[in-house]
Amino acid sequence: MRPRDENKIQGIREKAIEMITNEGLENFGINRLAKAAGVSPATIYIYYKDKDDLINQISIEEGLRMCYATLEGFDAEMPFEKGLWIQWKNRSKYALNNQVGASFYDQLRNSTYREKMLKAISDEMKKKAGPFVKNAIKRGEINEISMEVFWSVAIAPLYSLVKFHQDEHSFSGKKFVFSEKIMKETFNYVIKALKK
Amino acid sequence: MCNNIPEHILIFKTNITAERDLFAVKTVLDTHHLIEQWNIDQTDVDCVLRVISYHLSYADIIQIISGLNYFCEELTT
Repeated sequence: MRPRDENKIQGIREKAIEMITNEGLENFGINRLAKAAGVSPATIYIYYKDKDDLINQISIEEGLRMCYATLEGFDAEMPFEKGLWIQWKNRSKYALNNQVGASFYDQLRNSTYREKMLKAISDEMKKKAGPFVKNAIKRGEINEISMEVFWSVAIAPLYSLVKFHQDEHSFSGKKFVFSEKIMKETFNYVIKALKK
Repeated sequence: MCNNIPEHILIFKTNITAERDLFAVKTVLDTHHLIEQWNIDQTDVDCVLRVISYHLSYADIIQIISGLNYFCEELTT
């Protein structure tokens, strides 16, 4: 057996993400990827069965990378406010510093590859973060809450700020720049809403 | 994925483009006892055939596919 060339695989992966992000899934194909990555199509087919397999594998890897970034330094046993703040900091850092990864994720979210990727993300999040909300309820820090309502109140406001930042403006073209101060101010309202 | 490139993965360029072509090939490849796994990426312009076999060579697969009147050529890395 020949040794696996990790640099080559990494190059293929990065190029695929870049192409899908910039040109969409419809125009993506292994031949075009091979040309762009400077490898032969056969090399790609050694690692991946076909186009679907390649997109599925790469999207799951990217999804998990996002999970691990989100959960860095986080523990499901943490007090509610502390744990949620770590998630906000991690999520904002990932969203602001991984524009390509985030756009790739958005492209896939509306595709047929969505299911496998979301399952991988959700399995990992359930394992590491799932008990966090339950623990907070058990300790009497927050009320019983469905995941949908929890997400909408506890996490979604952060992504509104990120979106304003990425658009570079909020309402009526008003200039907006994300900062930790604004994030903390928003976070404090979220905590006020959720904590008993 | 494993840590080494397995040499029993054989990659070919073909003209197996349509669903009925795929069916013709399927009947032969599915029942071949020396073929572990195979698939064709019909989304690719080269309709790439990927075969996993510990015993068959490129020439063996080309012979099988050509025998079914399809074009088949090794895709080199």
